[in-house]
Amino acid sequence: MRAALVIARKDLRQRLRDRSAIVIGVVAPLLIAGVMSAAFRGTASFHFTLGVVDADHGSVAAGLIRALDEPDLRTIITLKRLPSDSAARTDVRTGSVAAALVIPSGFSTSVAGAAPKALAVVTSVNNSAAGGVARAVVESFTAQINADRLSVMTAVQSASPLDLGELSRLAQGLAIPLRTLQRPVGARELTAISYYSPAMAIFFLLFTIGFTSRSFFVDRAQGMVERMRAAPIRPFEILVGKALSVLVYGVASLATVGVITSAAFGARWGDPLAASVLGLAMVLAVVCLTALVISAARTQRQAEGVAAILTFGLALLGGNFVSLSSSPPLMRTLSLFTPNGWALRGYTDLATVGGGLSSVAGPILAILAFAAVTGTVAASLARRAVS
Amino acid sequence: MAGNALLECVGLVRRFGERAAVSDVSFSIAPGEVYGLLGPNGAGKTTTIKMVCGLIDADGGEVRVDGRAVGSDLAVKELIGYVPQDIALYPDLTAEENLRFIGRLYRLSGAELSARVAEVLAVCDLVERARDRVDSFSGGMKRRLNIGAGLLHHPRLLVLDEPTVGVDPQSRHAILEHVAAMGETGMAVLYTTHYMDEAERVCDRVGIIDHGRLIAEGSRRELVERLGERDRIDISATGDLVGFAARCRALPGVDSVATTKESLQIIAGAGREMLPRLLEAGAGVDVSINAIDVTEPDLEAVFLHLTGTALRD
Repeated sequence: MRAALVIARKDLRQRLRDRSAIVIGVVAPLLIAGVMSAAFRGTASFHFTLGVVDADHGSVAAGLIRALDEPDLRTIITLKRLPSDSAARTDVRTGSVAAALVIPSGFSTSVAGAAPKALAVVTSVNNSAAGGVARAVVESFTAQINADRLSVMTAVQSASPLDLGELSRLAQGLAIPLRTLQRPVGARELTAISYYSPAMAIFFLLFTIGFTSRSFFVDRAQGMVERMRAAPIRPFEILVGKALSVLVYGVASLATVGVITSAAFGARWGDPLAASVLGLAMVLAVVCLTALVISAARTQRQAEGVAAILTFGLALLGGNFVSLSSSPPLMRTLSLFTPNGWALRGYTDLATVGGGLSSVAGPILAILAFAAVTGTVAASLARRAVS
Repeated sequence: MAGNALLECVGLVRRFGERAAVSDVSFSIAPGEVYGLLGPNGAGKTTTIKMVCGLIDADGGEVRVDGRAVGSDLAVKELIGYVPQDIALYPDLTAEENLRFIGRLYRLSGAELSARVAEVLAVCDLVERARDRVDSFSGGMKRRLNIGAGLLHHPRLLVLDEPTVGVDPQSRHAILEHVAAMGETGMAVLYTTHYMDEAERVCDRVGIIDHGRLIAEGSRRELVERLGERDRIDISATGDLVGFAARCRALPGVDSVATTKESLQIIAGAGREMLPRLLEAGAGVDVSINAIDVTEPDLEAVFLHLTGTALRD
């Protein structure tokens, strides 16, 4: 194994001398994680201005506007009074409000009648999210009104002993019993930087597969593999040396990105020991994948092609670009076949639920199983690669 | 020779598919001896030395260095210094870094490694450029360093695979001087080349290899003596050289005739007396003779005599 260490040391020296390795291993993950975090931060603090046209001035309209101005909604919606339907449409079109609610004249009176008037929500295709939220809030309010109407109608139809005044008072006190409340599973919400820091660190770690396999084939073309084999070393030590350089480079890259994103951007990587072991398992998987590419490919071009497919394929399936929670079920299932998918699950759990090493035992075992399978196949093909 | 031989190759066979690259090749080299494997491209020289260095397995036969079989015993490789045909150095590392890396592969370390690196840099005349990247070197400097890397661990057997291919005359001269000097230090040297003059200049003994078979072996003198009183006649000509060669072959006293693009190489007894008949043969075909040169036999003539083809065909 002494020769493997010599080869690894030489490879690392060459890699560190090549500045692109520093860029890919440290600068790029930090930069992209920062950019994606900034891009997705907007979704965590969603806020918009809703125009309101009150052409009714009745009690129900007042109740609706009060509901929109409740403290819970103020973090999301700022109300802006508008004089007319046409003004609302103009403001939505120009973007001075994200959406507008138009309460028609006679709305409050019509609610008690047989044909209540409809509320209108004016939305823009350029801000469908705001339109959707405005519509949902209004639908929630109209659902409450409809429930009240149904209660009163039922009481009237069943010849209730109460008079209409009493029914009206009771109906006003009713509230829809079921509400949907969003609460994250973990103790904390997953911030964009906490997701994209490990996601980008792992994505750029996957580039090591291409680097290292290219370096092996360049060595071979330059006659260095032959020179190494003429020395008193065993052929597999050449591959082990290459693998060790990937291991050291990968661990250093992940650790650097982890420390910097935690300290500078406030990313949560979770328990340091658990995060480290999870990262080490992921690096091992990359080492085995690299060995597999080197062992299976016959030419440098083949190796580069396979490495590129693996890098982007795994990143797409594993959720490095788009959070797995936002992905369709099929993608979530496919991510279970990728080591990076498991690693991101692990880091997400550590960032939200917390816990120690035992809480990420599942992802770690899954990644190690992947490494064992790819490593075994690589070992079976290794002799051909170095001969 | 086998009694005190450092390298013994016995009945080496290597096939690539159906094609036999090396067939039943046997030779040995004593300490301090420079042995040349002389043959045209594709004759089996490189395959033979790859088996000697343990880079490929032999399908038959055996290679022994200092009495130990090359193969499973890694320690045997410490006795061998290998200089590949192409420059095998890292262009993005300095000369010193390359040598240190290769030295460590041969289990050198610490002060011993530093001393050996300094020694090789001095031998290669690269002390001033030790900390320069190899990709900034000239072709000759790279060649010298490539050879030096094979000497780093003080091997007892040095194997050089056509080390002068593509080298300028000045560097070639320096390399050949160096190889001859190595033999004088007691190192056994296996040197492959397809340049007859190199083999004549540096090799104590020469093995002539063609189509994977060792067809003759001995010192230059022994090999040339095989030709007896024959001469080598080089005829520079243009025109129907094939027809001219056929007429020459039919002449009594002509042993072999090889054609190149613009010349005929003929091995014949009493060459000077043959000249009128050769000119007469040329007159019968559409050929224009530009020059005729009769020389003493050399290794190229031996090769021509043994194989019927010129060495550089």
